[in-house]
Amino acid sequence: MYLGIDIGSASSKAVIVDGGLNIRASCVRDSGIGSDGSETVVAEALGEAGIDRGDVACTVATGYGRLTYGGADMQVAELSCHSKGVYHVMPSARTLIDIGGQDAKIIRLDDKGRIVNFAMNDKCAAGTGRFLELMARVLGVEVDGLMDIAERSMKEVSISNVCAVFAESEVISRLSAGESREDVARGAHASIARRIAGLAARVGVEPLLAMTGGVAKNRDVVAEIGKAIGCEVAVPESPQLMGALGAAIYAAERRA
Amino acid sequence: MIIDELAGIAHDPRKSVDEHIARTGKKAIGCFPVYSPEELVYAAGMLPVGMWGGQTDISKATQYLQSFCCSIMKANLENGLNGVYDALSMAIIPTFCDTLKCMGEVWKTAVPKPECFTFVFPQNRKLEAGVDFMRSELERLRARLEGISGAKIGDGDIERAIAVYDEYRAAARDFVKTSPSYPLTVNARVRHNVLKAAFFMDKAEYAAKLRAATAELKALPPEDGGSRGVVLTGLLAEPDGFLDLFADSRLHVAADDLVQESKQFRVDAPKEGASPLDRLARRLSDMDGCSLLYDSARTRGQKILGMVKDTGAAGVVVCMMKFCDPEEFDYPIYKKELEKAGVPLLYLEIEQKMDSAEQLRTRIQTFAEMLGA
Repeated sequence: MYLGIDIGSASSKAVIVDGGLNIRASCVRDSGIGSDGSETVVAEALGEAGIDRGDVACTVATGYGRLTYGGADMQVAELSCHSKGVYHVMPSARTLIDIGGQDAKIIRLDDKGRIVNFAMNDKCAAGTGRFLELMARVLGVEVDGLMDIAERSMKEVSISNVCAVFAESEVISRLSAGESREDVARGAHASIARRIAGLAARVGVEPLLAMTGGVAKNRDVVAEIGKAIGCEVAVPESPQLMGALGAAIYAAERRA
Repeated sequence: MIIDELAGIAHDPRKSVDEHIARTGKKAIGCFPVYSPEELVYAAGMLPVGMWGGQTDISKATQYLQSFCCSIMKANLENGLNGVYDALSMAIIPTFCDTLKCMGEVWKTAVPKPECFTFVFPQNRKLEAGVDFMRSELERLRARLEGISGAKIGDGDIERAIAVYDEYRAAARDFVKTSPSYPLTVNARVRHNVLKAAFFMDKAEYAAKLRAATAELKALPPEDGGSRGVVLTGLLAEPDGFLDLFADSRLHVAADDLVQESKQFRVDAPKEGASPLDRLARRLSDMDGCSLLYDSARTRGQKILGMVKDTGAAGVVVCMMKFCDPEEFDYPIYKKELEKAGVPLLYLEIEQKMDSAEQLRTRIQTFAEMLGA
């Protein structure tokens, strides 16, 4: 068995695969770097697979916590792992958007699933999951609830895509001016989408365009990104797990 | 090894400069980036000291400089306001970019010591009129330096200084050509610090030490660290923590196109000239492929491609100094040329002082994985 663990800023994810690269167990917890989330997801994944730690032949860690996680045999950057994971479940993917808790990445893949180019957001929360967390807080909903209210929107209220802090005060101004929470939520999603479209233009987009990371669970953001880029966006079944899956595949390949 | 001694000097430039002043009794003249005419300072019997910012927390400098200003200039002004440069007798501030143009005036207003000399470089440096203008600026500086040293600077003094600098440049070129064969001993951090030490030492002493350091390396068997070579381009690549990310990801510097490093020693003074100042002026005419020197032929991309070809580098890493307009204007031009040639390119935005480099680590590691390091 092979274990991949993806320790991000906002969540920890673990995937166990067998020698045939079939997923035997997986786990996601909303606690990332600096918490016991990594140990929790590993323990739960091992339990789900019905194996002990000793049954794991190789472990690969990825994500921002990859270097501080002590139980790994190897560390691989999350862009490589997300690419590996997505290519495994969507072999026709040629462009990948990954929006995590604190950064956004656009990755171009060749027909073998190898990275040929990539771009990441600058040191700024705009265009990341953190931006959505800030918007959710101002709008008085959980981040998972943003999608529900945005899907009830009748129009888009323009929100700045330059700075998450300015956008927060902008949202408050919009609400004070009488705009609805639903329309502001849609505006926040469109703001992220424009930011991502700009980033995508740096490396170019070639179909199939796939999206991973926790933000990919938000259908409204995915739809807005598709509109902004002008390309249909495919989301794998478990978008948050693609990094950990890729790490597990790296573990299996290393062992092989 | 001698490279360790040189790298140590880059980490404590004040100590090296103070020791030199105490040992020789010479005065020291600060030289702002990027191409202050150090040879003339050397000819005046004084020590040229590079002023390339540093790991400085910025506070007072924000009174005079906007936040969107390059971190080298912020650090220099902060150091000036804090008296860090008090041992210098003067600072030469050239006019290569908008920030440097303003810096000369800010310095006169805000920094009591050392006094500054604004050196105006010709924009059209290949025209005879540009060469004439450059010569006249060199004459102006010569007179000012003579006032500080109290002695005339003869043409023979300048010729000897040019010879010392050409020898330094040759030694540095030999070192950067040799170092990729020793990617473990001369990793990105060591390579940078060895080259940076030149700014804080007598160039004749530095060149002799660097020649000896290179000979030491050549006596060793080549190292096979399994790392991939990359070409760095930009103004500079600092701090050490940033450079360590390259070794961590099994990358080494195959060659550089950095203003602070190879662009300082890529071009010698022409062998002939109407006068030594003419030779110095024409050296500027001969330098190309730099964002801070007007280059109508836009040769930078081709020069970088040449380095990739000559060294077998696997890719190019752009070390983009945040808020450096000239570097940002150059980027789209050479990016297009590198992409057309199929050279993998990594764009990194850097500042001179970076307390957290984790996002850069992810980018560099991913690039290394992409290159198969």
